[in-house]
Amino acid sequence: MGEFTVHRVRFFDYMPSAIRAMAFNPRTERLAVARADGAVEIFNFADNYFQEKVIPGRDGGTVEALCWVGPRLFGAGLNGAITEYDLENLRPRYSVEAYGGPIWTVSGDSAGTMLAVGCEDGTVKMFEILDETIRFQRNLERQKGRIISLSWQPSGALIAAGMIDMIRIFNAETGRATHRLLVERGAGASKSREVVVWSVVFLSDHTIVSGDSAGKVQFWDGHTGTLVRTHLVTKWDVLALAVSQDESSVVAGTSESIVVQFQFISSTVGRQDNEWVRTRTFKNHSHDVRALVHTETAVVSGGMDTQLVVRPLLDKVEKNTQESSLRKIAFPHRSLVCCAKKAGLLLFQFPEHLELWRLGESEGHGRAGDSLPVKRKPEKLIHLKRKGDDHIRCSAVSPCGGWLVYATVSGVRLYRIQHDNNNIGVTKVSKLPKSLCSAHQLCFSSDSSKLFAASGLSSVVVVALNPLECKHLHTLRPKSGSRQPVHLLCVSDDGKWLASANTDCEVHVYNLKKMKLHCKVPVYSSCPTAIGINPVTSNLVTVHADQQVFEFSLQQKEYTEWSRRLQQRGLHPVWLQRDTPVAHITFNPRNPAHIVLHDVFMLCIIDQSLPLPEARTPLLNQMMLRSLPEAERSRQSHAFKICKSFQHLLSMTLLDDQSLVAVERPLLDIVSQLPAPVRQKKFAT
Amino acid sequence: MARKQRGATAHGSSKTADNGDGGHAEHFSLLLESSDDEAPEEVTFEDSKTQALRSMKDALDTVRREKEQLKEKRRRRQELFQEQKKRRLLPADVLEEIDSSSFAKKQKPSDDKAEEQQQEEDDEEEEERGKTQKKRSGKLAHARNLKGNYTVATVKERSSATFQQQVAQDFIQSRLYGPGSCRTTNNELLSLQNKKGRNQSAAVQFVKKDWASKERAKAEKMKKRWIHKQQVHSC
Repeated sequence: MGEFTVHRVRFFDYMPSAIRAMAFNPRTERLAVARADGAVEIFNFADNYFQEKVIPGRDGGTVEALCWVGPRLFGAGLNGAITEYDLENLRPRYSVEAYGGPIWTVSGDSAGTMLAVGCEDGTVKMFEILDETIRFQRNLERQKGRIISLSWQPSGALIAAGMIDMIRIFNAETGRATHRLLVERGAGASKSREVVVWSVVFLSDHTIVSGDSAGKVQFWDGHTGTLVRTHLVTKWDVLALAVSQDESSVVAGTSESIVVQFQFISSTVGRQDNEWVRTRTFKNHSHDVRALVHTETAVVSGGMDTQLVVRPLLDKVEKNTQESSLRKIAFPHRSLVCCAKKAGLLLFQFPEHLELWRLGESEGHGRAGDSLPVKRKPEKLIHLKRKGDDHIRCSAVSPCGGWLVYATVSGVRLYRIQHDNNNIGVTKVSKLPKSLCSAHQLCFSSDSSKLFAASGLSSVVVVALNPLECKHLHTLRPKSGSRQPVHLLCVSDDGKWLASANTDCEVHVYNLKKMKLHCKVPVYSSCPTAIGINPVTSNLVTVHADQQVFEFSLQQKEYTEWSRRLQQRGLHPVWLQRDTPVAHITFNPRNPAHIVLHDVFMLCIIDQSLPLPEARTPLLNQMMLRSLPEAERSRQSHAFKICKSFQHLLSMTLLDDQSLVAVERPLLDIVSQLPAPVRQKKFAT
Repeated sequence: MARKQRGATAHGSSKTADNGDGGHAEHFSLLLESSDDEAPEEVTFEDSKTQALRSMKDALDTVRREKEQLKEKRRRRQELFQEQKKRRLLPADVLEEIDSSSFAKKQKPSDDKAEEQQQEEDDEEEEERGKTQKKRSGKLAHARNLKGNYTVATVKERSSATFQQQVAQDFIQSRLYGPGSCRTTNNELLSLQNKKGRNQSAAVQFVKKDWASKERAKAEKMKKRWIHKQQVHSC
């Protein structure tokens, strides 16, 4: 496997933002997640829950609710505007002011023609969805007090609105309020405290389900406006409700960090009188659950603890399959860390700023497993605040450490960094080529002479850098005409090849000497999560969301022999069962047969010279090999060498001096900075 | 008679009396007496004339005296202020040196302001000064000093939209984290997990060394101070 000196970096104070709202599109199987900082993320549930796209947030642009209308995604927040997102250019397409104060909720009707928003001033505003925009149509009868939650009846004739102390039912045609359902306040001391209906769901059989701040989930009859059943779920708030597509199951998320399921079943076997019965309780969070989605097979929840949890319903999925395992997505599937290999610098990307650190140094040599004494501590060189209101989308530092670039939705900023001894100077490059107006992904060539920026329509802009001026060289365009954004860029060490991958699962390879498309890698059904070009053999290695590994020869324009063998043999089941995608691929220039890759929980070196593992043999055999005699060891060893001593790994890079940089972010550090959880009494504590 | 009376009342000021117009004075005294119902006392014309003249003179004197007193008082006050001002200011030579610099300019308005507070009861003579001061404070305070480190910037407008947004955010905050929400700390939550977990361990603040490092440093400092105190006492 080889021995490395490891820089174990734990000073990246990455703090994910709380999940505020979610919406699931069952047709495309995409989940949209809105974070508290206004960022919207798209997860592809058909492709191993891969985080395909991230739309960065902006200052003051909180998103309170999300809503899919067909393939279009709408969001609205406390800034009082409804925003449609451009999922191809990863930016807000337009914002329409609702003129009703802060917006608490958005709901689309089942036909996909109308959008209802609930405003602070007590109005429910109806917007007509047109091809290019949305247009205000009318207000429903104005109420006193804010509209916190909304739900359309699936037929589209009625709307239920959750307010303070009550639920209103509106006739969507006339705009008149037809019923007023009074929600009881909590018992005891909280009697004087008004109750907030945080969430409401209107079912097609005219049952209304409400979740409120007194901890009740209530079922109402929508025809008569009477209460059918009350379930006291928690002592705190019920914050979110979600219903399954067939309306047989409702889940409720609470402040107490539990999710409670209710099912429409008969309480006694063999009888037909179905009623809503509390069935299951899930506890997968540590903090408030603020957003819920009920897919066909799973309950997806998110909240203040920033993790996305996919909890499969075991009566809906096959046992002991990939689908039946619990998923927790705690870290983003794209890299927030960039490492300058030659200069030994680390760039950390936050939504608000960038931090550039110089790695520490140590002296002396130790045996494997020792921790070396630190001679020079790591040092923060630059704290660069971004300009404007938009959050940072992507950033990069050049391998020599002389250039720094970041992109927001609105623009790209390039900085020249000069450091001599202890002085450091940052100067903004004022004149950038016009083609460099936005970038989805940024990357420097290994000799730091070129900057590559992924732009619209999967194109890549090549900019030549020198201290005097920055010049636009070429725009590389794929022939496929895909409109999806590029999420991965990779350049070979010799500067000859550039590979780009987009969310249409296409991987294009460009020849940088001729500045034209070299070839397109055969499209695989799963999205690539990491790509890398071997500096010696010029083979392109791609790893996909379903954990498959491919090696493609750029010279022959075909899969290599090793890749074919790997596909014939099939990957080890333990490898396929991992639930985090491979985040990065690097190569060891000293040993071209080694592919170094990592995900959140492991570091793996694939040795292409060794035989592939059999499905029956253990994949993790490092400890066992160590105890074996030399002859036996070489017989037992296989290509996949996995090291799990680093956990919650955000980045792993091999520096030019053969030392590894491992950036870890322990979950405990994140949990310790979260907002306060509710106080729960645990027996015998 | 009526016309004369009117004239008398109209000219019944000290100025006309100063002329020594006897007729007028006579009418004046007559007018005073006419209001009495009793039979008039027998007073000779000469007597009454001198009396009237005297009283008028007395009145004039008191007025003049009062005026002078007031003037004197103001003068003394003025002197006092000037002295105070001098005391507060730097010595004259130093003042001259830095007169041109912006520092002196900056100091002046604040001085004036301090003075203004003391001069509050003053009027008339000081009024002029007050007016100029008011004029000065009426202008923008930094309008003259733009050369220095000042930049002109309009105050960021907090429109009603951002205000409403703030109210809405406060509503969520108060409902979820406000009083009565019964919240605990992450430390407690994690410590409970440690206590109840399969492999039990101590509370987080003991397990994790860098937890609440600021508070730790403070506690360490306090401890050292306390030990030092104990040693001092025992000696």
